[in-house]
Amino acid sequence: MDAAPLAVELKGIWKRFPGVVANAGTELTVKRGSIHAVLGENGAGKSTLMNVLAGVYRPEEGEVRLFGERVVFANPADALAAGVGMVHQEFRLVPTFTVAENVVLGAAERVLNMGAVERRVAELAEQFSLDVDPQRHIWQLSMGERQRVEILKALWRDAEILILDEPTAVLTPNEADELGLVIRRMANDGRSVIFISHKLHEVKQYCDEATVLRGGKTVAASMAVVDLTPQQLAELMVGEATDAALRPEPRQAGDQLLTVQDLCALNNRNLEALSNISLSVHGGEIVGIAGVAGNGQRELSDVIAGLRESTSGTVKLFGEDITTATPRQRFRAGLSYIPEDRVGVGLAPQLSVTDNAILRSYREHTRGPLIAVDRAKAFCADVVDSFKVRTGSLDQRIAGLSGGNLQRLLVGRELTAKPSVIVASQPTRGLDVQGVKAIQELLIDARNEGLGVLMVSEDLDELLAISDRIIVMHGGRIAAEYGGADANRSAIGLAMAGETP
Amino acid sequence: MIRPVLVRREVPVRGGQPLAFAVGLLVALLLGAVLLLVAGDSPMEVYRRMLSASFGDLEAFSVTLNRAIPLALAGLAVAIAATMGLWNIGAEGQILFGATTAAGIAQIGEGWSGPVLILAMIVGGSIGGALWALGPAAAKAYIGVNEIITTLMLNEIAIRLIRYLINGPWKDPEGYGFVQAPALPEQSFLPNLFQRTHVGLLIAIAVLAVIGLMVSRSSWGYELRVAGSSGATATYAGISLKRKILTVLVLSGTVAGLAGGIELTGNATRLTETVSNGYGFAGIIVAALALMRPSGVAAVAVLFGAVQVGGQSIKAIGVSDAVSTVLQALILFGVIAAGVLIVYRIEMAEPAGHKARSTSRVRSA
Repeated sequence: MDAAPLAVELKGIWKRFPGVVANAGTELTVKRGSIHAVLGENGAGKSTLMNVLAGVYRPEEGEVRLFGERVVFANPADALAAGVGMVHQEFRLVPTFTVAENVVLGAAERVLNMGAVERRVAELAEQFSLDVDPQRHIWQLSMGERQRVEILKALWRDAEILILDEPTAVLTPNEADELGLVIRRMANDGRSVIFISHKLHEVKQYCDEATVLRGGKTVAASMAVVDLTPQQLAELMVGEATDAALRPEPRQAGDQLLTVQDLCALNNRNLEALSNISLSVHGGEIVGIAGVAGNGQRELSDVIAGLRESTSGTVKLFGEDITTATPRQRFRAGLSYIPEDRVGVGLAPQLSVTDNAILRSYREHTRGPLIAVDRAKAFCADVVDSFKVRTGSLDQRIAGLSGGNLQRLLVGRELTAKPSVIVASQPTRGLDVQGVKAIQELLIDARNEGLGVLMVSEDLDELLAISDRIIVMHGGRIAAEYGGADANRSAIGLAMAGETP
Repeated sequence: MIRPVLVRREVPVRGGQPLAFAVGLLVALLLGAVLLLVAGDSPMEVYRRMLSASFGDLEAFSVTLNRAIPLALAGLAVAIAATMGLWNIGAEGQILFGATTAAGIAQIGEGWSGPVLILAMIVGGSIGGALWALGPAAAKAYIGVNEIITTLMLNEIAIRLIRYLINGPWKDPEGYGFVQAPALPEQSFLPNLFQRTHVGLLIAIAVLAVIGLMVSRSSWGYELRVAGSSGATATYAGISLKRKILTVLVLSGTVAGLAGGIELTGNATRLTETVSNGYGFAGIIVAALALMRPSGVAAVAVLFGAVQVGGQSIKAIGVSDAVSTVLQALILFGVIAAGVLIVYRIEMAEPAGHKARSTSRVRSA
């Protein structure tokens, strides 16, 4: 193996986005014929780095070498022509086309003999044990089968290097094991596979080497997986950064306000997303929910807010059962919600600042059947002033507002209702440093005023900084719970990755 | 390498729609002049004729207004649904079924007095339109069936229903072998308001005003706009999407059906399958030109009506049917194309690869 030439060398890659440095001199080398894991928390720069390799982004600095030769890709087609194929998390398939048609789409001869194409697709599938019927239509296939079609697309184009971006996120455990066999066969065929994952046991199971990224930098490069324990990988992923001193003085928690008991719910694909979640939030505390994306956090906050049905279990507010209450009833009972998808759920992008400010309270600003525009505007002006939303006119569409101002408007609206409990899902994601600070301070102020705050975040530093308690979710369950004082980064990291500490 | 692309403006051009009309009309008239010259007609003569037939005097204008009534109501029907992001492509069928219902009421109420019969026919027409929209509305609300398909298909069914009635149960016994519906009773004819404009104008204005106000100012309309912006946001705000879809599509059908009832009592002597004259489809264009705002529908409908009336009038001076139709289409194309530039601007794109724009492109090798 050691004598094999390097298939991929990424050297000193820099890539910045407005307000964010995604890659800060990131390094990655991948050997020929090996399966290489790229690990890191959300925002560590994995996806950006892979998009650089796949020709989606151009790095501002640094070089990409394939098999020793320097390459510059103008677009994904260039990368593909050079042998780099990528299977994105969101599949890019035409649902009404057959498997074979999708495989050859854009890479077919001018005259298409579908019979011959189907035979060749079937042969290729056979060669790598990819179990999929070339004649079936995409819409008929499971997620696992669709992923195999994406892999076939890359193989059809002779990809020597295949990037799989969190491939097991959409798979059942059995399908994941099958995928493991497929990529091993590809590696034995001399191809290189880059496997992006959060799941440490998969890395141990399927991969030869691992590179760990943190904050856009490579913190551990090409380590042999056999020598590593999950504990070590977890520590590398979450780091040992000193905890910020933002956290306010601990204080006596008040009454139990929100109680969740044995809650179960399904995700959008009707698979179990929450199993037997029980937790409580008291007045005057911030409870942080930690976890890698897709472990049920989103479903949990949606169920509490009434946007998703639970299959069993109860949600209580002030001891009153609100499990079947509508979102409006919950809000009126004192439960505010800052959804993860601000503009698609919490705000109406095509409407004005005023229209968005009154989203929760428009029924109170009416005169007969009509909205009392003067009162609505006064209410909006109040929210805008109190929460320092920077906007031109109140009649302006919110689409023109910056991310930070959108979030101030949303948080301001939710806090203006004087709730007792606020559920905040990823409230600072995507904001610039100032915006993050402003929103965190608002939540801390709310806590100091005696509100109960349940905050979901994928940023462990943030949770460590402002939470009184941290609950770690993994696979739809509560994996661990820590008090603010004894919260330990590496233990949390392990729990997030599904290893029992 | 440099090529033009459309980029959405952050703010549409102020006073945009009237401007689009003016520019689009001008361009279309210039292109049309070439067409007319090639066909051997005199552009000046033809355009003068079109103008005088649609806006020349009070009588001409009254004919234009008569046309504008069903166009405005059909446009309103489409615009209400579009406020919530729904496409009612079935205004044509709803107009036809509304007219059919009104014709049925006319048969029952042959002996009723004029005002009673007319009122019954107009109300009945609205109910007919509502019923015709109820199926697609319920299918969309409860099982998510695409309303574009269902409303579109019901247009065909409405036409065939009329054909069946005219050929069968409602065949005129005094038709001397002609296959036609019986003549409507005289007292069912809608009286004229002035010249050739009938009282339907007042009904249309009232309906436009009330519904326009509801959409833009009422809390019902607010909920509609929230739901149109994002369904998930509506749910978050406690708005029932199912109920909104149901009410808005049925209201849309009611308005289209009203147009059918008015058209039958106002302009027809008997039920025919051409009673709608394509108003339901034209309504989609009217609504689009009005940027789906009920408030803009009236003005667009009058101009659209004028184009139709003017376009038909020039056949009398020997312009061929085909040229007349092409001329009407050119004007609409011109206005629609200019309307696009109100919302978008043209930019010269740099060669691919320099911008992050390529990130959104689907892999194409």
